[in-house]
Amino acid sequence: MPDKNSDLVQGTLEMLILKTLVLEPMHGYGIALRIEQISKGVFRVNAGSLFPALSRMERAGRIQAEWRATENNRRAKYYVLTDSGRKALKDETKLWGRQIAAISRILEA
Amino acid sequence: MLRNLRMGISSLFQKAQRNREMDEELRGYVEAAAADNMSRGMTAEEALRNAKVEMGSTESVKHGVWSAGWESTAHSIWMDLRYGARQLAKTPLFTIVCVLTLALGIGANTAVFSVMNAVLLRSLPVADPQRVVYLNTSSPPHRTGTVDSHETFSYPVYDAIRQQHGALTDVIAYVPLSTGKVAVRFGAQPEEANGDMVSGNFFSGLGVKVIRGRGFSTEDESSHAPVAVISYNFWTRRFARNPDAVGKTVFVKGISFTIIGVAAEGFEGVEAGRSTDFWIPLQDRPELNAWGNPPWDGKTYMSQPIWWCLRMLGRLAPGVTTAQAIAQLQLTFQNAAYVGLGNPEPGEKRPTLGFGEAKSFPGYDEQYGKPLRMLMAMVGLVLLIAFSNVVMLLIARNSNRRREFSLRLALGAGRGKFFRQLLTESLLLVALGGGLAWLFAIWATKALGFWAQIETSLAPDGIVLYFTLSILILAALLFGLAPLRSALAVQPGLVLKASSATSNTDVGKSRSGKVIVALQMALCVVLLVGGALLVRTFRNLKNVSLGMRTDGLVVFGVNPQNLHSRTEALAFYEELIRRLRVLPGVDSVTVMESRLGSWWSNNRNAIVDGKPPIVAGGGSGLTRSNVVGPDFFHTIGVPVLVGRDFSDSDTATSPHVAVVNELFAERFLPNQSPLGHHVMGDDGKTENVIVGVVKNHKYRSIDEEPIPMSWSAYTQDGDVAELHVEMRVHGDPLAILPAAQKVVQQMDPNLPLLQPMTQREQFETTISQQSLFARLAGFFGSLAVLLVATGLYGTLAYRVNNRTVEIGVRMALGARRSQVVWSVLRDSLVLTAIGVAIGIPIAVVVAKLLSSALFGVQPYDALSYSVATCSVLLVAVLASLLPARTASSVDPWTALRSD
Repeated sequence: MPDKNSDLVQGTLEMLILKTLVLEPMHGYGIALRIEQISKGVFRVNAGSLFPALSRMERAGRIQAEWRATENNRRAKYYVLTDSGRKALKDETKLWGRQIAAISRILEA
Repeated sequence: MLRNLRMGISSLFQKAQRNREMDEELRGYVEAAAADNMSRGMTAEEALRNAKVEMGSTESVKHGVWSAGWESTAHSIWMDLRYGARQLAKTPLFTIVCVLTLALGIGANTAVFSVMNAVLLRSLPVADPQRVVYLNTSSPPHRTGTVDSHETFSYPVYDAIRQQHGALTDVIAYVPLSTGKVAVRFGAQPEEANGDMVSGNFFSGLGVKVIRGRGFSTEDESSHAPVAVISYNFWTRRFARNPDAVGKTVFVKGISFTIIGVAAEGFEGVEAGRSTDFWIPLQDRPELNAWGNPPWDGKTYMSQPIWWCLRMLGRLAPGVTTAQAIAQLQLTFQNAAYVGLGNPEPGEKRPTLGFGEAKSFPGYDEQYGKPLRMLMAMVGLVLLIAFSNVVMLLIARNSNRRREFSLRLALGAGRGKFFRQLLTESLLLVALGGGLAWLFAIWATKALGFWAQIETSLAPDGIVLYFTLSILILAALLFGLAPLRSALAVQPGLVLKASSATSNTDVGKSRSGKVIVALQMALCVVLLVGGALLVRTFRNLKNVSLGMRTDGLVVFGVNPQNLHSRTEALAFYEELIRRLRVLPGVDSVTVMESRLGSWWSNNRNAIVDGKPPIVAGGGSGLTRSNVVGPDFFHTIGVPVLVGRDFSDSDTATSPHVAVVNELFAERFLPNQSPLGHHVMGDDGKTENVIVGVVKNHKYRSIDEEPIPMSWSAYTQDGDVAELHVEMRVHGDPLAILPAAQKVVQQMDPNLPLLQPMTQREQFETTISQQSLFARLAGFFGSLAVLLVATGLYGTLAYRVNNRTVEIGVRMALGARRSQVVWSVLRDSLVLTAIGVAIGIPIAVVVAKLLSSALFGVQPYDALSYSVATCSVLLVAVLASLLPARTASSVDPWTALRSD
């Protein structure tokens, strides 16, 4: 695990959050943990950037928040992907793929 | 988008709840993280600490979330506004002075601009006004009669030009039914109203909508249909917008017309300076001749080709330029101009046709253009003074706040935040001032319109709103930026190291303050000199002796209809005079053709004893004449010097007589008794014997020069159509009007009293413009003085305040009170001297520009200049004395200990 978590490229955090929410609704810490686990610790999302991003996405209608009970029976705010969030994820993934391909082509040239 | 707005608003207003939820969510986050840490083998305490460190401050996370939404910006603007309002409320005097200064300065400008906009800039309210032109002529042909030598045409010219297609798609003719108002009647009660006869394409050609009923057609014109369209204003005023008005019968001079339509709101006709109440198609009956004139040689305007009395408008055909249209019509015009005249006289230049833009009403520019521009310049100066005042006050105020700024900088406020804060405060001031200014302007515009007797609607419109808004935006920026320099120059350390006294001294600032004060003084001198000259002009005019006794005199017009001969007309007036004489309280009654003090007069070259008189020194032979009734000079109170007044015994069959004034006798019959000589009558045919000489007195207006005059008896001379009745009564002259109206109505139920007023009022209408501008100039002059006084006081008080410590030291070291007072006073006296020195030369230039508007006072009038200088001096001394006294009463010890 690197000392510092790599800074996420602007805008990718939202895409990653959308991706983690595809499977099931999650609360804030769950999202952060999932991102860290799947990236094998490369990306560690701290609360200072996670919550503003969640708030922005909620405003944009990509996700919806609702209070639910957790597995150990505490109240927590769960975030649910909306239809427009699903669509946004698809679009962004496509765009990302194109960008990555282009960047690798440049780096390999 | 909508959700974003809704959520933003709910987060703004449910801030506490949002906060609680955030707290709960973050607590959950920390707990989950701690649980996770524990599962990796940390102790409970360690796990919690680690989780908390990882998250950082809850507050900063919350702030991050808060800043992500738009509402945080809205909130900080709101906070700025609240902070600004609190700051302004802390210094109520400053705020009130600034807001009032702005309200007066901007309001005055808005009001004058709105009048200027309505009178000089606004287009006619017609469709596509750029394509509409007024027709004008270089001059009418010789041997014609005209109403206006450039703007009126004969009927044959109208007829010829409208037959020409191609250049103008529509040729529109219009002419008033009277020089003033015309008698109308709906029920039993006669009234007066402004009415025009117009061509059938008047509404369609101009593109003016008729909102109820219909407009005129060309058939209406050719058949002289008895139909009328009324204006929206008249519909509102007379019928309270009752839809039943359409279909009603209106008697115009006793002839019945049916109302068939109401014109669109805002259209008040095309006559300069007055709003038309109703229109009828061009008529061809002697009672409804153009301008209310009796037929000329038995012919109305339609059959008398040499009477140039119709005004004309045209609409340019698509794709035709003004020059092309004139070129196409010129020959037709020049031929039609000589219909009824034959060939031009030898050496006579043929008239040429021209077009004037229908941008503004004809005649407005000559009448109001110069005074309005002058007024605009005056209020512009007032605005300049007002702005510089507020800027100075703001600079002074914000310099006093430098410690506050410094403290806030030291506590971590950004300079960008300062800028926003200052701009917000100035915006608040400007918004308050601007709102008040708009109210003030609406009121002032109404007052201006009333004083200037402009009937056209002057209400501020969109253009005026833009004008005011741009002034306001300019002001907001200026006021926000002006104090910024001093605010930005502040260092965070200042508050720590400097005392309040030394932190406020700034040599550079007070120098620019001095320059502004001196310039304000100069502007003030200019305004005061201009104001004083105009006020003196007005007082001179007001005190001019009319040469008659006007108290107790009342005048009204009567225009009898359905009289078929001169004998009948004479009988009507003889009966009228007889009946009015016996009313209680009436001293004497007479009649006249041209009303005194109404600008109207008959002018021509005198014919004495059958030939033009030889005037010593080649002076002018011009004379004015009037046709009047019995006891004329007795009634108006003019002494008869030699011979006699007109009397009832001067009848149609008795010898024709005349009365002349002193100047007539001196100029045309010097060194001999004028009695018994003959003078040409008003109709240019009869020879009248002079039976009396009267003292010179005013005839047309208050500011006229004396001119030779002759009078003849109405029984022997003139048209005997519309005459004006002059009555001398005991007590309030206007109180006789109801009784007089009753008498007139008994004789003819269709007749209203036309423009009834006291003779004094009638004369004062001839100086209404001067009186208006004198009042306004006086008002703006005083306003400027007031503004300069507050500005000066503010600046001086601020400077003295800054010198408190210095003065304390001086007094501790033995300076006397008087020395301290003098040192403060000297400052402002020097500034005043500089201001006056700059102001006087400018005032001289301005006064020279004004000279045509002055009466009985020279542009270099010493008194006006002294008054202006003294007023400025007085203001300076008064505004300095108060701060100076405060300064000198400083207790040295308090001053030294003040920080």
